[in-house]
Formats: sequence, C-alpha cells, structure tokens
Amino acid sequence: MSSAILRIEGVAKTFPGRGAPVGALDRTDFVIGRGEFVTLVGPSGCGKSTLLNLVSGLIAPSEGAIWYDDRRITGVNRQIGYVTQQDNLFPWRTLRDNVAFPLELAGVPPRERHAEAGRWIRRVGLEGFENAYPYELSGGMRQRANIIRTLIYEPPVILMDEPFGPLDAQTRISLQALLLSIWESQRSTVLFVTHDLTKAIGLADRVVDERATGPHGSGRHRQDTAPARYIFHPSESRIPGTARFNLEGARCANP
Amino acid sequence: MTALPTESEQSKIDSPSPVAGFGAKLRAFANTALGINAGRIVLAGTFLAVWQFGANRLFDPFFFGTPLAVFEQLITEVTSADFYRDLGVTAIEMAGGFGIGASSGIFLGVLLARWAYVASVVDPFLLALNSIPRIALAPMLIVWFGIDMASKVFLGATLVFFITFFNTLAGIRSVERALCDVARVQGASDWQIFTKVMLPSASTWIMTGIKMSLPFALVGVIIGEFLVSTHGLGYRLNAYSTSYNTVGAISMIIIMVILMMVLTAVVDHVEARLMRWRPARDPEPIARA
Repeated sequence: MSSAILRIEGVAKTFPGRGAPVGALDRTDFVIGRGEFVTLVGPSGCGKSTLLNLVSGLIAPSEGAIWYDDRRITGVNRQIGYVTQQDNLFPWRTLRDNVAFPLELAGVPPRERHAEAGRWIRRVGLEGFENAYPYELSGGMRQRANIIRTLIYEPPVILMDEPFGPLDAQTRISLQALLLSIWESQRSTVLFVTHDLTKAIGLADRVVDERATGPHGSGRHRQDTAPARYIFHPSESRIPGTARFNLEGARCANP
Repeated sequence: MTALPTESEQSKIDSPSPVAGFGAKLRAFANTALGINAGRIVLAGTFLAVWQFGANRLFDPFFFGTPLAVFEQLITEVTSADFYRDLGVTAIEMAGGFGIGASSGIFLGVLLARWAYVASVVDPFLLALNSIPRIALAPMLIVWFGIDMASKVFLGATLVFFITFFNTLAGIRSVERALCDVARVQGASDWQIFTKVMLPSASTWIMTGIKMSLPFALVGVIIGEFLVSTHGLGYRLNAYSTSYNTVGAISMIIIMVILMMVLTAVVDHVEARLMRWRPARDPEPIARA
C-alpha cells in the first residue's frame, strides 16, 4: 500500500542559455509513496514548476531518471495528471465539454462523458453553468473546472502547480477543503507545489521543514503506514535561483 | 460626428446650464440607435439631393447621371433576363474563385504550419508570388485558361489564396503551447491535438482570412471580365462605360456594392454563430462618442 509510486533519482535540469547553460533544477532525489499528499514549498523561481514539468513527462531531465511504478518516465502519460497554475481551459469549449475532454480523448461516448462531467460539476458547486464558456466564468469557477477535469479521469498521480495561486483567500480555503475531501475519497497520490507556507499548512497535517530538522530528523518516529500528508522545504541552494529538494523524510516515514 | 469634443464643448457637457438644454438633449438623442440611423438618413439624403438637384447646375449629368435615372436603370436591370444571366455568371466565377482560393489557402496554411522546414524554404517565394500585381497576371491567366469563366475563377482564387493562407499559417502558429500541453497530458494523440486544439484555436484567424479575402474574389473576377469576356457583371459594366452610358455603369457598381454587402452580412452571421465562445466585442466606438 505504501510502496513508492514515484521515484526521482538524481534528476537535474538545465536549459540552454546565452553562453553557459542555465540551471533550472539542481540534483534532486525523492520518493513518494502511493496515496500520499505531498506538498513542496519553496520560493518562486527555485525550480518547483520545472520539477512538475519533468514528472509529468512534458520535458526530459538533463540528468537522472524519474520512475513511475518502476517504469521510467520518457514522455507524457495518462497515469500522471497535471493541474497547472493558469486554468488553461479551452476557450471554445463549454464548461461541460472542457471537463469531459479527457474522456472524449479516451473515446467515451457523449452521453456517458456528459453525465460524468455533470456529476463533477455538481460536486464543486458549478451546476447551472454547464453550457457557459470560460470567459463567462469567474477565476475561482475556472480554477474549479481546471481541477475537476484532471480528477475526472482518475489518474493515480496528480501534480498541482499552485492551482489556488490567483484566487482570493476565501475561495482558496473552500477549494482546499474540497480538494482534501476528494483526495480522501479517491485515494490518489498528490504532489502539490506552492511558494506560500500558510497555504501548505492549510493542506497538510504535518510540516516537515528540512532546514530546521535535517534530512533524517523529521519523519523517523512516524510509524504509521496510512497515507500521510507532508510538506517539504528545499534543503539547500547551490546555484542562485535554484534549489535542491532533499526529501529523505518521505523515505523514512514510508519505508 | 466621431470627432472628440473640443475643450469648450467638453466644458459644456460637464457643466449643464439651462441655456445648453437643447444641445444636451440633441447629444443624448445622437447616442441612441435611432439617433445614429437618423444621422445616416440625413447624410444619404443630402448626398442624393445634391446629386439630383445639382445636375445641369453644378455638373453635367452626361458624366454623372442623376439618382432618378440610376434608379430607373436599376429597375430596368432587375426586370431583364440578360441581367440575371450576367449576375449568375459573375456569382459562379466568384464562388469558384473564393472556394478554390480559400480551401487551398487553408489547406496549405495548415500543412506548412505543421511542416516548419518546408515553410522556411518556400517563405521568400511565397512573398514574391504575393507581390505580383494581380492585374499584371490577368492577361497571362487568359492565355492559360481561355476567355471563358476559368480564367476569372483563377484570378479571383490567386487573390483569395494568399490572404487565407497567411492568416491560417499565423493562426496555427499562434496556438498557445500550454493548451497543447494540457491536451497531451490528458492523453491526446498528435492528431487529436491537431483537430481538437490547434484547428479550433486557429479558427478565429481563419475566419478573419475568409472575411478579408471575400471582397477580393469579386475584385479578381471583375478585373478578369474587364479584360476579355462575353458575360458577367464586369462585362456589363465595361460595355456601359465604353459606350458612355454613365447611368448604366453606376447602376452596375451599385449592384456590386449590394452583392458584396449581402455576402459580408452572411459571413458575419456565420462567424457570430461559430464564434459564440468569444467574449462579446466592445460596443461600436460610434455609440460611445
């Protein structure tokens, strides 16, 4: 149950820059267990989004490898969902057709996928807006749609890149609560990225600060095998503007 | 009417006084749809009146006709079988030129947008081809395709092609990468990304190309008919003007204007239906003046 679903081994990413390559993510290792809700906290520009792009398979690492369930990730795959910071809804599709899009890609017949999309739309309180186009929805409504269109096809791993970033505090809190209740019922693995520590605390029941406790000092005493929620900080930063995520704590907690 | 108010006019608007009551009411009326239409009727009426009553006084009606003579000529035209045969010929040529030009422009635009190497190779040649003054090409097209409808169809098509082609190319190239990534993560194949993301996203541009190119289909056809033809509105216009029948020529120009306005209205209607997902456009600037 608590076996590793994602293993990130010695992953680093550099982009070609003017002259010397620009480091976007320094060598990173960590393991995420099945069903965990892991929150990564780090300042803007420290490589969090790069890390998610790597895990999703949209970009390839310069060094190291990422494993999903002991298979190496070489490109995008439907096992790993990705909720981006911008809602990126298709402006020419109605709310229902945006939410049903992943099912449409998989060849689910219209009646079934519309019914399924309708259930998710009701679940996040957007009923009555099924036929609205994205420009007719508020930022909070669009972001709810953005989240459920990933949840609808139930990928075992869901990556989230500050999905509540542009929202006001009240909307954010209600969406966080919603997200946690869905996570508890769906039992997917979530890797959630934010630059805002208070946001992270709102989502996780335990904060692991690598800088304060050292890489091995945090989760050792935890005996639980049930999925847990963690927050991790980048442990050090060797290249200015980048960070190294050292997430040994996850390994200690869920051997 | 659309000019910005001068400073003195502005101050009058800002500080209404009992003396400015009528002016303020007039300005309020001008901003309503009725007021705008009233302005249009006044403008058109003044133009027609000067034209009608200026004949023989301000200018020689031999060169400019009169509105009443043109109106009578229009009635004669729309009740004659010859006119409808010529209208039909021009309509078919236009439809052919537009259809061939737009479909090949969209097809090649999509193809080259996906095929970056070929696009870079042919780019200067396409610019050169598009720089040919199309009227210079017209005699060659008549040599190649004969004096019948085919040469006019192709002249219209060469004009329509480049407009739709460059718009489609730009449309596919400006598709947001993030939208393609979202679809890919959700499991879309390359073909699905193309049909379900790139084409709908580029549809705004393609629609603009279609709207911009439509009048050029008529331009190409009319130029072709001017040079050599036995039928068509352009032939008719040419026949009238070379025999100094100015009233007949003006009536043909009015027919062409009406034809173009009807077609534009149809395309606007189709666009409004297809582009419901876009936010409503800003109100016409004239309504805000």
